[in-house]
Amino acid sequence: MPEVVLSIRNLEKTYPGGVQAVRGVSFDVHQGESVAIIGSSGSGKSTVLRCINRLIEPTGGVIELGGTQINTPHANVNEIRSRIGMVFQSFELFAHLKVLENVTLGLRHVRGMSKSEADKVAMEVLERVDLLERVDAYPGNLSGGQKQRVAIARALAMKPEVILFDEPTSALDPELIGSVLKTIRGLADEGLTMIIVTHEINFARDVADRIVYLDKGLVAEEGPSSIINNPKTERMQRFLASMNEEH
Amino acid sequence: MNSRRVGVERIFSWSALDEKTRVGILVSVFLLVAISPAVGQSIETGWDVAESGVDSNLNAAAVHGNETWVFGDGGVMLSSSDEGITWSAMNSDTTADLISADSAYDSMAVLDSTGSVLMKQGLDADWTNIGTPSEGMVDLVLIGQNSLILVGADGAIWRYSASNWQEIETQFTENLNDISFLDENNGIACGENGTLLFTTNGGISWNYREAPTGSSDSNLISVGYYNQYRLYAISSDGQILSSTTTSAQNWNLVEIESEGYNTSLNENLKTIEVVSASIILFAGPDNYLGVSLDGGNIVEHNLIPDGINTSFNDYAMIDYQKGIVVGDQGVILLTDSSGKNDLVGFEIPDYGNFGEFAEYADDMMLDGFKATVKIVGFGILFGFFIGVILAMFKTAPTNLKGLVEGRPNGIVRTLGGGLTVIGLYLFWEGLSGFSELGLDGIEYIFTPVGDPRGFAMFGLGIASTLLGLLFLSNNGKFSKIEVGRVTLNPWKTRPLNSIATLYTDFFRNTPLIVQFMFIHFGLSLGMEIQDVYESAFGAIGTDGFDYWLLGESAFISAIFTLGLNSGAYQCETIRGAIAAIPSGQMEAGRSIGLTYMGTMKLVIMPQAIRICIPPIGNEMVNLVLNSSLAMVIGYAELSRQGRLIIAVTFQIFWAWGMVMISYFVVTWTLALLLRRLEEKTKIPGLGISGGA
Repeated sequence: MPEVVLSIRNLEKTYPGGVQAVRGVSFDVHQGESVAIIGSSGSGKSTVLRCINRLIEPTGGVIELGGTQINTPHANVNEIRSRIGMVFQSFELFAHLKVLENVTLGLRHVRGMSKSEADKVAMEVLERVDLLERVDAYPGNLSGGQKQRVAIARALAMKPEVILFDEPTSALDPELIGSVLKTIRGLADEGLTMIIVTHEINFARDVADRIVYLDKGLVAEEGPSSIINNPKTERMQRFLASMNEEH
Repeated sequence: MNSRRVGVERIFSWSALDEKTRVGILVSVFLLVAISPAVGQSIETGWDVAESGVDSNLNAAAVHGNETWVFGDGGVMLSSSDEGITWSAMNSDTTADLISADSAYDSMAVLDSTGSVLMKQGLDADWTNIGTPSEGMVDLVLIGQNSLILVGADGAIWRYSASNWQEIETQFTENLNDISFLDENNGIACGENGTLLFTTNGGISWNYREAPTGSSDSNLISVGYYNQYRLYAISSDGQILSSTTTSAQNWNLVEIESEGYNTSLNENLKTIEVVSASIILFAGPDNYLGVSLDGGNIVEHNLIPDGINTSFNDYAMIDYQKGIVVGDQGVILLTDSSGKNDLVGFEIPDYGNFGEFAEYADDMMLDGFKATVKIVGFGILFGFFIGVILAMFKTAPTNLKGLVEGRPNGIVRTLGGGLTVIGLYLFWEGLSGFSELGLDGIEYIFTPVGDPRGFAMFGLGIASTLLGLLFLSNNGKFSKIEVGRVTLNPWKTRPLNSIATLYTDFFRNTPLIVQFMFIHFGLSLGMEIQDVYESAFGAIGTDGFDYWLLGESAFISAIFTLGLNSGAYQCETIRGAIAAIPSGQMEAGRSIGLTYMGTMKLVIMPQAIRICIPPIGNEMVNLVLNSSLAMVIGYAELSRQGRLIIAVTFQIFWAWGMVMISYFVVTWTLALLLRRLEEKTKIPGLGISGGA
């Protein structure tokens, strides 16, 4: 078994209003592994993901990245985030920057690379997501799928230890989903460590090495991707049935 | 690659402007040019050169009836019957140098250097030699048709009357230089060592008049007796003496304003001509001619026509404006303006004529225009700077909890204890000062004015005490405080936000005109800044960049007031724009490892500023219009220039109309630029902008 990159123990998050979004989630992510987190709306999937790079401060539990706890007040949050990539549901590209500049922003201002160095890295990454011909476009002129691939390139460029995908295809038209999923599948095949929050059950089954099913802030079921075909718990069965009805 | 132009985006490019905008810019340039400085004014000499036809030294001149006569060395006599324009030589029957002449009572007499006197008794009479009483005589004066007086060296005075010469015996032995009579009886003579002699009986007996202090040693070279109360004398080295008492009892030295209130013109003088109670003409040997319109206080140095360099000897004035002056080498100059310098282009304008009004007003308008653009430019920069800072303050998420969290509790509590002690001390110090103000009841709201220092201590004391107590109570739980139904969470206090809110609330809830007056007159901020600059870098002087920037205290106060005020409004606009940026942008920036400030600078602000260009443009136009209030602190911007123009011209409609147009040019240009800026910085594919 490869080493553990990210380890989550008894993660808890209670929002100021008193809503308990996450009530003790634990799982590990190994080197080169892709983990899909599935679950119905409000089950705490996104909260878990955002706790990992501390966009949300967890109220309890321990998160370790490469063996070091990262959810302490002393941890350098900017340094941690630069080691964890994040791809958002709504892309969140920097609208005033061109595609290339979107990708190089972190390289130049976080990694401190020169413009030419950063451009070189960015071009490599953009090639991987198949967007070389759009480097000088502004995000506003891209299709949804292209935007999300730029967002993936932006995260990839930082050479993160793990990439978090927060429902990467939810905001896309069905015909555009394919290109994004293909890109993510390619990355998984390259052995990138990733956590994917998704509603695409089939995609999760195809790409993910492991599935974590969250329900009401708790891990209800966890296992290899085959558990989608044979869910053990009744709740996961119901969830999968409702997803199938939609399609 | 798509076809979009790659590279640095230029904000201004003439070729990229559409036709309408080009026309607009050209029209504004035309308006600017139309308000251009007037043709320069100049000063020209008030003297014209007359052709004398001789090159002898001309020593004396006199007006005889309709003729003007000039006398010079070698018996030269010239006469002009057209007020000095053309001259013809006259036969004099003598070759002696003619040195002095006088004309009165239809007679004319001339003295030569040998002491002989020629006389013309009557307008059409011939010259006759009436004798040679004595050598060494220098000046003569007629006291009747057939009577005259000569003065000369060693106090000699000769009187000619009824065809007889009589030497007047006096006890005075100083050399006499000049003599002048008011009528047949009253006369004055002057000479060396401050000698002034006065007669009331036609020169038969003479009385000494004491020269004023400071001129008792002076060589009094010329004297003029205009009327009972106006007598003037000059010394050869530039002093002017005057007497305004009957019989010339008392004499004073005239203080000369144009020479720094001293009592000398610092010019060598030869003669004066008193042509009215207060207009005196001066002539001197070093090509000097001067005129005073106020009895010698202010003496205007006449410009001399080109090519003339002589020693001027005598005037002959037909009236107080028209006459001639003669000098060595045959120089005759004539004037019809008392010799005053001509002010070319200074004629009194008729402001009812719009052309003349505009000619007067455009210079002042241009100055006001430049001044307005200057404060507006600096005000916008300063206001925008403050606006951005305040907006960042207002949106800063840093709260007290964030500051304290993660630090050892011991340190926090120690800090809290310190703050509490300091706070209580400040509180007490400030409070105890208030009682000395003698305030009663509601007047206490004016405490900050009566005791600003004490009030600041009081306020800081309260804040510091509360903060200290909060830190002291820290137990790591950051819990809320519940008082009855009200729930407070002091840990959620955002200090930067509080400071910015205090600032904007204050500046947005007081009138701008009051802020102008408070900052300029109350705080004298402009002067304070000048003082600081001068103590650090030396005097500002009267030119150069530092003078341009800091030379005017009203300018400094004005940009500070406009900037501080506009900043408070711009802050809200920019804050709104920041709030309009989706929170995901901040998350995205943070998720790649940028700091909060880094994300602000690289991601949020570039987008927020683009969003707020239209409302900020509004704010800037407002700033231009508000800049007109700077007139209340005496800054010479457009509105104030408008008032000054009205004060001179009384053309209210035209002046305010021009002011309005000028403001329109400034704001409209600004609006055009902002429109260009907005188009140029527009993010492709973002937002609905109509057409683009």
